[in-house]
Amino acid sequence: MIQDWRDLAQVLLNGVMAGSVLMLPAIGFNCIFAVLRYPNFAIAGFATTGAFAGWVANAVYGWPVGLALPLAFLVAGLVALLAEEAAFRPLRPAGPLTVAIASVAMTLLIENILRFSFGNDLRGYDLPILRDWRFDGIRINPQQLQNTGYAIVAAGGLFLLLGFSRLGRAMRAVADNPVLADIKGVDPNRIARVAVFIGGGLAGCGGMLVGIDTSIDPLTGFRVVLSVFAAAVVGGLGSIPGAALGAMVVGVGEEMAGLVLSPAYRTVTAFLAILLVLMFRPQGILGGRN
Amino acid sequence: MMQTTIGRRGALLGAAAAVSTFAIGGRAFAQTAPVVFGALPPLTGAGGPYGPAMLRAMQGVVEAANSAGGIKGRQIRLAFEDDQTNPDAGVRGARKLIDVDRVQALMGTWASSVTTAVAPLCWENRVPLFTVSGADSITLLPHQGHIFRTQPNSRLQIETATKWLLGKGARRVFHMAAQSPFAQSSQDVMTEVMRAGGGAVSGYVVYERDKTAFRSEVDTIMRSRSDTVMLNGYLPDVTILLRELYRAGFDGRRFTFAYAAPASVFGTLPNEVTNGLTTFQPSPDLNSPAFTRLKAAFGSTEVDPYSAQVHDHATMAILAAAQGGDATGTVIRDNVRKICQGDGEKVDNVTDGLRLIAAGRAVNFEGASGPCEFDERGDIRGTKFRYEVAEGGAYRVLELV
Amino acid sequence: MDAYLIAMLVFAGFYALMALGLNVIWGLTGMVNLGLVGFFALGAYASALLTTKLFWPMPLGWAAGAVVAAAAGAIMALIVARLRGDYLAIVTLGFAEVIRLTASNEIWLTNGTDGISGIPGPWRGDVSPPEFNLIYLGIVWTAVAVVFVLLARLSHSPFGRVLRAIREDEDVAAVAGKPVLWFKVRAFTIGAAVLGGAGALYAHYNAYIAPDGFAPLLTIYIVLALTAGGVGAMRGAIIGALFVIALLESTRFLSAIIPGVSPVQKAALREGAIALSLILLLRFRPQGLIPEKTRTKATP
Repeated sequence: MIQDWRDLAQVLLNGVMAGSVLMLPAIGFNCIFAVLRYPNFAIAGFATTGAFAGWVANAVYGWPVGLALPLAFLVAGLVALLAEEAAFRPLRPAGPLTVAIASVAMTLLIENILRFSFGNDLRGYDLPILRDWRFDGIRINPQQLQNTGYAIVAAGGLFLLLGFSRLGRAMRAVADNPVLADIKGVDPNRIARVAVFIGGGLAGCGGMLVGIDTSIDPLTGFRVVLSVFAAAVVGGLGSIPGAALGAMVVGVGEEMAGLVLSPAYRTVTAFLAILLVLMFRPQGILGGRN
Repeated sequence: MMQTTIGRRGALLGAAAAVSTFAIGGRAFAQTAPVVFGALPPLTGAGGPYGPAMLRAMQGVVEAANSAGGIKGRQIRLAFEDDQTNPDAGVRGARKLIDVDRVQALMGTWASSVTTAVAPLCWENRVPLFTVSGADSITLLPHQGHIFRTQPNSRLQIETATKWLLGKGARRVFHMAAQSPFAQSSQDVMTEVMRAGGGAVSGYVVYERDKTAFRSEVDTIMRSRSDTVMLNGYLPDVTILLRELYRAGFDGRRFTFAYAAPASVFGTLPNEVTNGLTTFQPSPDLNSPAFTRLKAAFGSTEVDPYSAQVHDHATMAILAAAQGGDATGTVIRDNVRKICQGDGEKVDNVTDGLRLIAAGRAVNFEGASGPCEFDERGDIRGTKFRYEVAEGGAYRVLELV
Repeated sequence: MDAYLIAMLVFAGFYALMALGLNVIWGLTGMVNLGLVGFFALGAYASALLTTKLFWPMPLGWAAGAVVAAAAGAIMALIVARLRGDYLAIVTLGFAEVIRLTASNEIWLTNGTDGISGIPGPWRGDVSPPEFNLIYLGIVWTAVAVVFVLLARLSHSPFGRVLRAIREDEDVAAVAGKPVLWFKVRAFTIGAAVLGGAGALYAHYNAYIAPDGFAPLLTIYIVLALTAGGVGAMRGAIIGALFVIALLESTRFLSAIIPGVSPVQKAALREGAIALSLILLLRFRPQGLIPEKTRTKATP
């Protein structure tokens, strides 16, 4: 299969492109996990929500992607917030696993609300499809590059927020030690809401990027969600840079699947990545605490 | 303890509600006693993009038959359940249709797994099963004549298509297949036919259907220097593959099953991506008035191959019941071949068919999906295939062979 | 109608077995298993293959189904039991998907997406279909009864008490000198064995299995069953399974009478109702219909 270095470079590049689409939902997942300490499986539903919100803005109202993407963030963030306040928050005292199970149900609920409203038909964004650029036999698609750009901007925005704002410091404080943060006057509930809004919003952006690159239906989020979880675990649950790195590892791993196993086993490679990481570095590549 | 009793009472109330709804269903059946047919299309899950249109097509036929007076004066009711593209849910749905609604025929199963799972229920209860599923193994089941499959088996389809491609000058065909019951058998047939015709299958990749990125798979196609790629998948994944092939600048022929790229694909992909895409499907005679009338009947929406097939399922079941004079499963099973093959007068819709049968004339139904002639196993035979090419957001018929 | 109700009771039996299996893992020990459909599939495939290809007698096939699933459960537990529950949730979710993909792709063994048909059933063919249904109703609910009695005894044994202690606080159990990992592995193995046995019985009832049938949705149904019945209580698992089947089936009849919505919307309402009822149950009745008696606090 691999004939020269170009083929390998191409697979790596494809992996990075695929990984950058997984990156935002994975960061969103870890963002919620870092503060609330439960795996929010509804991230798939939030991603589909974002994909549909962006589609309505773009294909129905003619908004450009640059405007539709923030809308996808906003709508998915609000849906995540609503889900958290209405369904998950009351369950938090019952333990993280109860919330996790409720979030699985939430994904199914969101999928069917979207199915009820939009039906099952595939829908495409109203965007021209551009040809690949070629450099010495290696192909790269300008649109996918642009999507990667959007993902990096969104992720970078989150890094800036966490690193340099009061809110970000408060979030990190709660993530590190909620009790201590509470003593210092940080309202953990407010921080939790912010984390859920940002996490859901990023998942929504990720879902929209998937939608731009493919087409959308109520199962859009479901198709990527296992890879997203793998990315989050591989990078380290709760670690935001970890999620970004994990997404790249899983993205490259899945594209490599064709070389190692068979393209029919893409998801299996993601799972193998999880197992390998858990056996040798259970906290994930960049996860600090366990 | 208090809470426990409330919980139990709640459970009892729930059970009572469930029982009373069963009772309502039963009574409605007893009062009007229409002929009941069952539809089991996928409304959720992987078949979701196809099921709703299929159900509408079947409902359309039933409505037309009812306005034409029904079967010997009896109205027809189409009961339906969602198979969730899952054999477990499919079996429960089929149980309900067969045991509660007492359907006399079951139609419109899509996933091969669902069809294979519900088939034993059908023949045990003497209910004929009309299906669009593609797995060759389905008609090999011991079904005692109860299965009618309007989807040609993969040997017939792939052999015909590959020969056509050879005739158009294809020498290196890449086979890109979603994992499905007929991926491997398609590959075997294609290899055999290409080799005999002096060509070769230049590559074979089986991919995971539920994925959103296939770039490395497309790289494999590009490296293979194929003049043709056969996309043996379904709508969601074929849509992504077409987009990727365009991006990669693949300049060979793109060939696929019409069900994998029905006209709705023009709504999701820009024309420059779809232009030149060739599809094929079993088809009735194009020059017959039947075909044009059928297109008119479906209105502005293009008829996708599955809808065309289930349109024929419903029509055949109704005409067979009318022909046999009794709407039981066994009568329908025994009369399907009488109304769709032979020397009878050609009809293409349920209204004309019912009228002719009532007049005591022999009919030969030729449907939206082809002549609907079945061999002894229940497989379609003698069908022609229609080849179409996408041009500017619509399909243009290339030829019918 | 009778045939339908009997068939649904048979399905409820399978669901009850699965809920019992999950109850050992999740209810007693507090480990989550979102991949239970994977163990169910392993049991189904093991028994189907051994009886159709090697012509093993059915009871041996059922036992083999349980053993294969138990072995897989033991290996999985060894790898992940020392991890926190949230990792376990993701790993088990992935495991089920791997099983489904392997069954789809390893055609030489599993016949791929075509599935395995013609799986024998006890006296199938010799008796009428309604009689077969009744026979199977007996078999499945006998299995449910046997498993229930065994697990109920296990649950009240010293072993069961240790599992509960682990569920409530792993560290305390460890400090008390209990080899936590070993207990967890054993609990997971027992649960997986029950799941696998359920799968084996299911394969011989349906006569046909295919990868499509082992979709994640089934896992949600069983989790719902256990939540509805009461996590931790063995009786709850059975009540919950009956509840889920009643819910799944009654929504058919309810959605049929809703006016003004399209068939797809009805299907969406049905699936949505399942999801919503799970969320509502967790919210308003987390202890389930049959709360666990020995439980110290109402947290699953």
